Amino acid sequence: MLSLKNDGACHGIDCLQLVVQGRPLEYHGARDVRSLLESQGEKAAYANVRINGNVLNRRDFENIPIKEGDQIDFLYFMGGGSCLI
Amino acid sequence: MFNLSDEEILRYSRHIILTEVGGTGQQKLKDASVLVVGAGGLGSPVLLYLSAAGIGRIGVIEDDVVDVTNLQRQVIHATADIEKPKVHSASETMKQINPHIEVDVYHERLTKDNILPLIDKYDIVVDGVDNFPTRYLINDACVMKQKYLVEGGILRFMGLIMSIHGGETACYRCVFEEPPPPGTVPSCAEAGVLGAVAGVVGTLQATEVLKIVTGVGTPLFNRLLQFDAEELRFHEVNAPRNPKCPVCGDNPTITELIEYAYTCETQAPGTS
Repeated sequence: MLSLKNDGACHGIDCLQLVVQGRPLEYHGARDVRSLLESQGEKAAYANVRINGNVLNRRDFENIPIKEGDQIDFLYFMGGGSCLI
Repeated sequence: MFNLSDEEILRYSRHIILTEVGGTGQQKLKDASVLVVGAGGLGSPVLLYLSAAGIGRIGVIEDDVVDVTNLQRQVIHATADIEKPKVHSASETMKQINPHIEVDVYHERLTKDNILPLIDKYDIVVDGVDNFPTRYLINDACVMKQKYLVEGGILRFMGLIMSIHGGETACYRCVFEEPPPPGTVPSCAEAGVLGAVAGVVGTLQATEVLKIVTGVGTPLFNRLLQFDAEELRFHEVNAPRNPKCPVCGDNPTITELIEYAYTCETQAPGTS
C-alpha cells in the first residue's frame, strides 16, 4: 500500500498532500506518476492513471510530474489474461 | 394487464411489493431479454440472480467446460458438472431455479463474426468474460448497436463495474482506450482471485440489469466503480464520455469490429 505518514508534518519539500482514490494521502516518494504507482507494489503493473480527471498515456508515466493537491485515481485493468499480442 | 400467472405473482411477490417495481416492473422483467457472455465467475451470480428475478429470456454464450478449479467461485456449477459444457450446466441450474424463464444456450466462442446478429436479439448484454480481446469486442459491438452493456471485471481482491448505453454514455474504451500491454495484466489463473469477489461484482452487475430494465434508480452510467475487498472499500470515479474515444468519440477510428489476438489462450481457459 501507499506510504502514509500521519505525523502532521507534511511539508512541500519532502511530502505532498494528494488525494488518491478519493482519500487524502501524504506522499513522500519521487514526484512522478510511475514512482507513485510503484509505491502500490504489484498493482502498479495493471493500472491506468487519471490525474485531476485526465487519463494519462501509460508511456508517459515517468515524465508526468505529480504536485501538491493532485487528485489521482488508479483505474485497474481487470478481467483478462496477459495473452495479447 | 399483466401477463403473470398466480404462481409468478406469488414467486415475485417480494419484487412486486416494492412500489418502485410493482407488477409493472415485474412484467418488464418478464418481457426483457439479456445476453450473458461467459458462465464463469461473474456469469454465475449474474445468471442466478437474473433467473431468479424472472428475466423472461436469458442467453448464455460460453465455449468452455466445467473444471474443478472453477468451482471455488463459479457457483452456478456443481462438482457433478465437471467436464460438462458450462452452458449446459448453467442452463440446468437456471431452469431448476425458475421454470418460467426461457434460456438460450450458445456453446461457442463469441467472435467478430457472430456477435452483431447475436446481441441484436437481446435488450442488454452482460460482460462476464475472462479475456481482453472479447471484452473489447463486446464493448465495440455494443457501441455500434447502441446496446446496453453492463461491464464487470475481477482480479485477486479487486473488482470493477461500469454500465454503458452504447453511443449514449461513456464506454469501456472511454476509460481504457486500448488493451494493456502484453504481459502486464495477469489472468485470474496466474494471479488468483478471491471467489466471493466474483459474487460481489456479478451481483452488482445483475442489480444494474434489473435497474435498467425496470427504470428504477440511476444506473452506473458515466461512472466506474472499483471494489477493493482487502480494505472493503468502493471507489467511484466519474467517467464521462471521452471525445477522443476511438470507438464512440467525435472522430472514431474504430468503425469495424476488431479482434485482438491471443498468444496463450489455451494456457488459461475459463478463468474468470
